[in-house]
Parts: sequence; structure tokens; C-alpha cells
Amino acid sequence: MIEIQQLKFCYPRSSFHLHISELEIETASVSAVVGPSGSGKTTLLHLVAGILPIVSGKVLVDGTDLAALSDAERRKFRLQQVGLVFQDFELIDYLSVSDNVLLPCRIGDAVTLDSATRKRAEHLLEQSGLADHLRKPVTNLSQGEKQRVAICRALLTRPAILLADEPTGNLDPATSDQILELMLSSARENDTTVMMVTHDHSLLNRFDRVIDFEQFLTTSEPASCAEEVWE
Amino acid sequence: MNWRHALYLAVRSLTWYRGRAATIVLCLALTLWLPVTVRLLLNQFREDIIARAVATPLIVGARGSRIDLALHGLYFDSVSPDQTTMAEADYIQNTGFATPIPVHVQYRTQSVNHVTGVPIVGTTIEYFEFRQLGVARGLGLSMLGDCVVGCDVAARMQLGPGDCILSAPQNAFNLAGNYPLKMNVVGVLAPSHSPDDNVVFVDIKTAWIIDGIGHGHQALKDAEDGVLLEKTDTNVTASAAVLPFTEITADNIDSFHFHGDEDTFPVSAVIAQPSDRKSRTLLLGRYLTERRDFAQCVKPTEVVQDLLNIVFRVERLVWLSSLLSATVTALLLALVLSLSVRLRAVEIRTMHKLGCSRWTIAVLISTEFLMMCAAGIVVAVAGAWLASVVAADGLKSLLF
Repeated sequence: MIEIQQLKFCYPRSSFHLHISELEIETASVSAVVGPSGSGKTTLLHLVAGILPIVSGKVLVDGTDLAALSDAERRKFRLQQVGLVFQDFELIDYLSVSDNVLLPCRIGDAVTLDSATRKRAEHLLEQSGLADHLRKPVTNLSQGEKQRVAICRALLTRPAILLADEPTGNLDPATSDQILELMLSSARENDTTVMMVTHDHSLLNRFDRVIDFEQFLTTSEPASCAEEVWE
Repeated sequence: MNWRHALYLAVRSLTWYRGRAATIVLCLALTLWLPVTVRLLLNQFREDIIARAVATPLIVGARGSRIDLALHGLYFDSVSPDQTTMAEADYIQNTGFATPIPVHVQYRTQSVNHVTGVPIVGTTIEYFEFRQLGVARGLGLSMLGDCVVGCDVAARMQLGPGDCILSAPQNAFNLAGNYPLKMNVVGVLAPSHSPDDNVVFVDIKTAWIIDGIGHGHQALKDAEDGVLLEKTDTNVTASAAVLPFTEITADNIDSFHFHGDEDTFPVSAVIAQPSDRKSRTLLLGRYLTERRDFAQCVKPTEVVQDLLNIVFRVERLVWLSSLLSATVTALLLALVLSLSVRLRAVEIRTMHKLGCSRWTIAVLISTEFLMMCAAGIVVAVAGAWLASVVAADGLKSLLF
């Protein structure tokens, strides 16, 4: 379960601020996050993922208070517990399809790269219809194929949470549907909690819950700013 | 972070951005190549020149430039010093302090098979023993007109025993000058990896014949009156119609003779091989006292050391310029690196989002940079080695 209590956040030298008094997301639920641009949807995903530090308030993931974790602990948590999917896929051009999926194992010690992990990567790619593209550079893939690779990368470590930031934003409707289906079915298979930011209201009926950010929009509450944000 | 993963990702990245990586490696390699090559070549050059100088105890010659005399005695193919005479060799012989080995290098061979002519070294049989030169093919010098060629000359000019080679006139436009002499190649020397591989050796008397001091022609006592200007009981004067022989054969060898006293015949240097240290000192003393006005005796090691001091002063300039170019390259590389990091900002941000630490990202970029540096060093050293193999002779020929 993800529990958010009195979470306040703002970026340095920015008028933006986020304030969420209380929000609970059930384990293995599939939630859509909607709201106007600039309302803080991506920021919330980054806070839940531990990419941004929590300065004020609490974010508890299965009882673990992210605010109490050090930078290194947050990175380890992210590698082991969180799968991330981005709108622009954010794949590494110089790596092949399978190397991109295995990237989380190569950039930290939190996940070991062994034969079982390799087999899982191959299995995920096979499920995604990319079995013939394992050694290909990702630059040779279509947009839809790239996003499938990104989803495989996110699911490699069997994460407890899958955070997706407009994963269908750059895709045509048919491909969007396929990608969403792949992501949600894989998540359900593994009892993964999904939070997905989307602007496509036609997809909302596929989710257990819709979190509308309109409810968090406020101008009166001052927020505590993060002192340092990686840019 | 596991270094194996860092290396793997670095190799993948370098392979993908191979154009950029190759450019950086080339820049680094070129910056390192120059000083490394200069150092290698100069070391090799120093070893060669010192070894030759150490193996040559003393060189005697006419007064003048000691550097010209020493280099001529050691390498033949340098600026000719003023000539001395055979009297100097006799003088050394008479002192009993050293064995004199006269060397006369005045002429070159003509070009053969588009290969430029090489120096003709007139000397005595002692020279071959002194330098421990053996004949690999054919025979040694035995009669006037014979020559033995160094192994490199034989290879380049495609010469072997039984072939002939012509001496080149000193001035092609002087019709009254000496005729070229056709020399018979009787042997090819074994490789000595020294300047002896690049010359043609003849007996010193053959060198004098090339010089025009000795010659052979038809017997004048039997000549027709048309070719004689004057004939008395004691003297015969021939006209220019009597042509000297241009080749020494078994039939005409007896007609060859020298005009004048052998003591006055020219030699460009005399290598003196003292019997011991004391004799060497005494001989040097003689040339500092009683022979001082006529000749000089140089110690090749000292002359070569003076020369090397000049060369290594030049090397310091090369090092300084290399240091400057290395600084410029380092600054440019720093710029390229920072631009590269900016260009890869999205990739770096993605890695961070996935859980990669700043340290790991620094390790990844540093590994790539170190690999490029290592490749640059390898290319530079390989290039320097190649240059030392290929260009060493060319560089030496520039110096001498």
C-alpha cells in the first residue's frame, strides 16, 4: 500500500507547489492519475519513486517511510521496488534491446545480473513480441516497440510499484491500447501496484481508480522546497 | 558498481559513438606520438652513434673541423674534411703506438637501378678486421679494381659477385676530369647494422686510381709517333690521344701505375688503433705537440658527445612544444568531455531516475575516457615504434 500524508513539495526558485493532505493507494490496484498540466502529477510519481527527496510530510510504501531513507537507500529502493515507464521511453541508444532491459542490473548493485535475470528479460521481451529484436539497437525500433522495451525494463525486477508517466502519450490509439494492455496484464500477473499519469480520458475505464489532481490544486498553502533537485 | 558492467557499458557507448571516440583517440595519439617518437628515435640514434664511436679509438686527419673529421671517419657519407696524406698513416705506423687504417672517401658510385650512388670507401684490408666485417657472398678484395659491397647496397642495387659498378665523376661537366672506373663486384659483406652496410669498399689504391692519381694505358714505348709528343732515351711524353683504361682487367693490370710518392697521396682520414691505453695517450700527446701544425687526432667519443649535447638541446625544444600541444589537447578534450556530458544529459537523467548514483555515472564516463586515453597511448606507442623502425634510417640520413 502507498500512503501519503501531509505531503508538501516545491522546486527551488519556482512558484509551483504540491500539497497532498492524504492519499492511499491499495496494493495491486491500478490507478490513473489525471489533472491539468503543471499540477504535479509527474512530481508525485517522482516523490513516490524516491527520485525527489521528501522534505515535508510522509510517503509510506508498504510501511517504509521514504522520507527516512538516505539518498543511497532511496536509489536501492527504486531499483528493487519501483518500475518506471516514461512518455519518451528514455532508452539508451547505444544499447541493444536486451541490454536496455537489463540496464537496472548494470547501473547498481541492488539487482544482480545472473542467468535467471537474463532469462526473465528474454521472457518479458518474448511476451511483448520482441523476441526477434533482442540484439537490435533500440534506434531501429518503432515507437510502440520502444515503449514495450521500456515496459520490459520496468518489470524486470518484479517491482512492487509500477509508475508510468504518460506512457501512451507519443503513440497512436491502436498502439496505445496494446501498450496499456501489456502493462496492465503484466502488472496484474505480478500483483504490482500501478500509478499511471494520462491525459487520455478514453483509457480511464481500464483503471480501478482515478486520482484527479484538481483536488490538490491550491494557492494558499505554502510548501517546503527541496534544497537540491537533480537536474 | 561492478567494473565489468562499467567496462561493458563503456565499450557499447564507444562503439556506438565510434566517430567521436576515434577522433579523440587520434588527437590523444598524435599529441603523445611526437614526444614518444622523438625520444625513441633519439635513444636509438644515441645508442648507434655512441656504439660506433666507442668502437673507433682515434681518428687522425687534416686540421679543420673535428666534427667533420670524426663523422667522416665514422659514417663516410658526411661533409668531407680537408684531406691529409698517406704520410700521416706512415707516421703513426712509425711511432709504433697504433695500427693506422687509412680511409679515403672522395667519390661515389653511379646510380644503379634508379638507386642513388653510394660512397666508395678506399681502405686497407685491416679495416675489415678492425670492424669485424665478414664476406657473406663471394670473396674479399684481392686486386685493383675489385670492390665488395655492403649488404644494404647489394640489396638496393641488386648487386652480387660478378656484377660491375661504375664510379661517378666528381663533376659531370668537366670533360678533362677523371674517367669513371668500372669496378668488379667480388663480394657482398655480411650485415653489420652499421654505415658499413651502405657503402662500397675498394682497396685504397683503387680509390687513388678513381682519383686519377694512378692509371693504366697502352705501353708508350711501343706507341706510334702520332700519339707521342716527345720521345727521348729517358723520357716519353704522350699526347691526349693516349686514353687511360676505364676497367682493370687481368690483361691490363700490369700497365697500371702511380705517379709521385705514395706518402703524398691523399686520404680523408686515418683510423688509429692503439695497442694499449698508454700508446693511445702517447699518440694523442704527439698530435698535441709535434704534429700539431699538420694534423689533428680526435677522440670520436668526445666529438659525438658534443654533437649529442646539441641534439639533446633540440630535443628539449621538442619536449617543450609537445608540452604546449598536450596542454591545448587536454583543454580541448576537457571541452569535448563537458560537451559530451551535456549531449548525454537525457541518458544520464534516465540512469539517475532508474537508480544510478552520481558516482556510478562518473565512473561510467571516466571509464570511457580512460579507455580512449589507453587506446590513444597504445596507438601513439605503436606509431612511435613503427616510426622508429621505418623512419630511423631516414632520420639518420637527415642528420648525416
